Amino acid sequence: MAIFLQLLFTGIGIGAVYSLVALGFVLIYRATNVVNFAQGEFAMLGAYAMVVLTQDLGLPYWAAIPISLAVMGLIGALFNLGVYYPLRHRSFLPVVISTIGASILLTNSVLVGYGPAPESLAGMFDFPGIQIGEVFLDSQYLLIIVVTILLVAFQYFFFEHTLLGKKMQATSQDKEMASLLGIPVARMIMLTFIYSAILGGLAGILVAPILFVSVGLGSQVALKAFAASIIGGFGDVTGAIVGGLSLGVIETFGAAYISVPYKDAFAFLVLFGFLLIRPQGIFGEKVAQKA
Amino acid sequence: MSIRHTTVCAIIALALGCAVAQAASAGEIKIGMVTPITGPAAESGKYAQIGAKLAIDEINAAGGVNGNTLTLVVEDDQTTNPGAVAAFSRLASQSDISAFLGSIRSTQVDAMSPDITKLGKPVFIGGTAPQLTHQGNQWLFRCRPNDSYSARVIADFGVDTLGLKKWAIVHSTDAFGTGGMTALTAALKSHGLEPTLVQGYPNQSPDFSAVVLAVKSSGADVIGSYFTFENDLGIFAKQLKQFGVQAKWVGSPSISTSTALKLAGPTLNGTYGIADFAADSSPEAKAFAAKYEAVAHASADNFSSWTFDAVHIAAKAMTDAKSTEPAKVREAILAIKGYKGVEGTYTFDQNGDGLHGYNIVKNDGGKIVFDKHVDYAD
Repeated sequence: MAIFLQLLFTGIGIGAVYSLVALGFVLIYRATNVVNFAQGEFAMLGAYAMVVLTQDLGLPYWAAIPISLAVMGLIGALFNLGVYYPLRHRSFLPVVISTIGASILLTNSVLVGYGPAPESLAGMFDFPGIQIGEVFLDSQYLLIIVVTILLVAFQYFFFEHTLLGKKMQATSQDKEMASLLGIPVARMIMLTFIYSAILGGLAGILVAPILFVSVGLGSQVALKAFAASIIGGFGDVTGAIVGGLSLGVIETFGAAYISVPYKDAFAFLVLFGFLLIRPQGIFGEKVAQKA
Repeated sequence: MSIRHTTVCAIIALALGCAVAQAASAGEIKIGMVTPITGPAAESGKYAQIGAKLAIDEINAAGGVNGNTLTLVVEDDQTTNPGAVAAFSRLASQSDISAFLGSIRSTQVDAMSPDITKLGKPVFIGGTAPQLTHQGNQWLFRCRPNDSYSARVIADFGVDTLGLKKWAIVHSTDAFGTGGMTALTAALKSHGLEPTLVQGYPNQSPDFSAVVLAVKSSGADVIGSYFTFENDLGIFAKQLKQFGVQAKWVGSPSISTSTALKLAGPTLNGTYGIADFAADSSPEAKAFAAKYEAVAHASADNFSSWTFDAVHIAAKAMTDAKSTEPAKVREAILAIKGYKGVEGTYTFDQNGDGLHGYNIVKNDGGKIVFDKHVDYAD
């Protein structure tokens, strides 16, 4: 029983990480109908920003977080201008290739600057975690779970109950209609990229103490997050969260009770299952794909 | 007629010019080096170059090889197999290079091996896959202990010195980790032991709770591990502590690298590791470590120690043979017995393996302390 609960906790913890990155995928997809394959690199950059600020510049941890997130916002804006905006009138594929190119560029730029050896980043809390009977609750995982819950609540409130959120949602559903209604579409997309980059950066900062900071950090998480967002229903915020959490739990239990070497396979088996039986995912899309 | 005359003159002049150029470089013996200058391993390539250059400076300061100065010609392998093959062929085309330093990566040595056979000149390597020197390529000379020794040292140390019998083997499922697991299982069998748990994991796993809980419920009192990447090792070490596993741990070299210490910190305290280079293992190693630190401003490790040894062995062989002729140099290398290098004592066998043992180091409160050196006669 203790082992079961321990696995459940770590499964949810790692699942929450997938969820956070999946949220970034979903937001950009909703705004632009494009999959941003550099979303994982946002996480990697956020983590490196923390390394630079706390270790190289010696800033205190809590001051470094808002600065890192601001840097990520700037990167998101530049990403929009450089990677998406010039290709916005092209079809799906050129933009996707453009994001893949950006991802390769970002990884290798960091490799040049920082080298391949992973860096370590301290956790946000000094205490390692809470021991309840046989079960150990890692403080960083607890933090990740709490932040994920808060972000989901914020996101729900923002998109459903604020004018700006509704404008962004309208943009994602039908750009032409939105611009006819006087919504500044380009600005809405810009905001989405900024927010997604901040979100990705935050995910990176949160997982860095667990996974360490290396150029592979992004791809390590992004592929699973991508699978999670498909399972949840691409383009759906709740879907990203539910998909991420269930993927984390499934692969942790699969590893423990079936096979560790095939751990990564479980995630993709679930993905195949969904693509075969319910390709729209658990929650489906809010708007059906336009012909 | 006059045109032909001019051409002939020009050719003669060119030939003379070449002869003059060659005569100018007669007092020089060149060593070619294939090493990563770009790509993910560029950092370690830098260390390898510093090690080789330190050896070259020492040799030249002591009068060179048979009165000739030693120089190094470096080509970039880009940390890839095709890059290594291309770099080697660029060096191989320079006929005045007498010996080569190949790669520390087994897969690259494998890729270069056919060209090395074709060229027929001595190439020193650092890759540790045992089969590299066992496939009939007589021009490969290894300056690190191969992996068949690492498993024996882990098993012998754990069973004989620590007196532990219930083994859990944790290994990466890549070629290195699986090879290590197979060798360690065999080494334990020679002690009459069957591991209680053999647990593979895929590289770059974000979470090791399933592996750690398997170790915990197996009741093992010692872990033997083959981790390829330090970040995996770091996550495993941390969760091992969190889930209260008390077993001792003897790991492959990645457990005592500076990266592992940086990432895993105190969670590695009290663990044992095997290392081909340990600064305190001999006076030679100590002297090298001091020299290296003064130049590189970093601690010496096996990336630089093997190239340092390789250059010295090449020079010694050419001095002993009083020649740079490949066949004679090869004979001289194979005749080396009991040469004290910084990685250990070299006695080359007929396969071209120079070292036959490992150092055991202990992580004592975050400091890597030399425990003992184990050498095998067979």
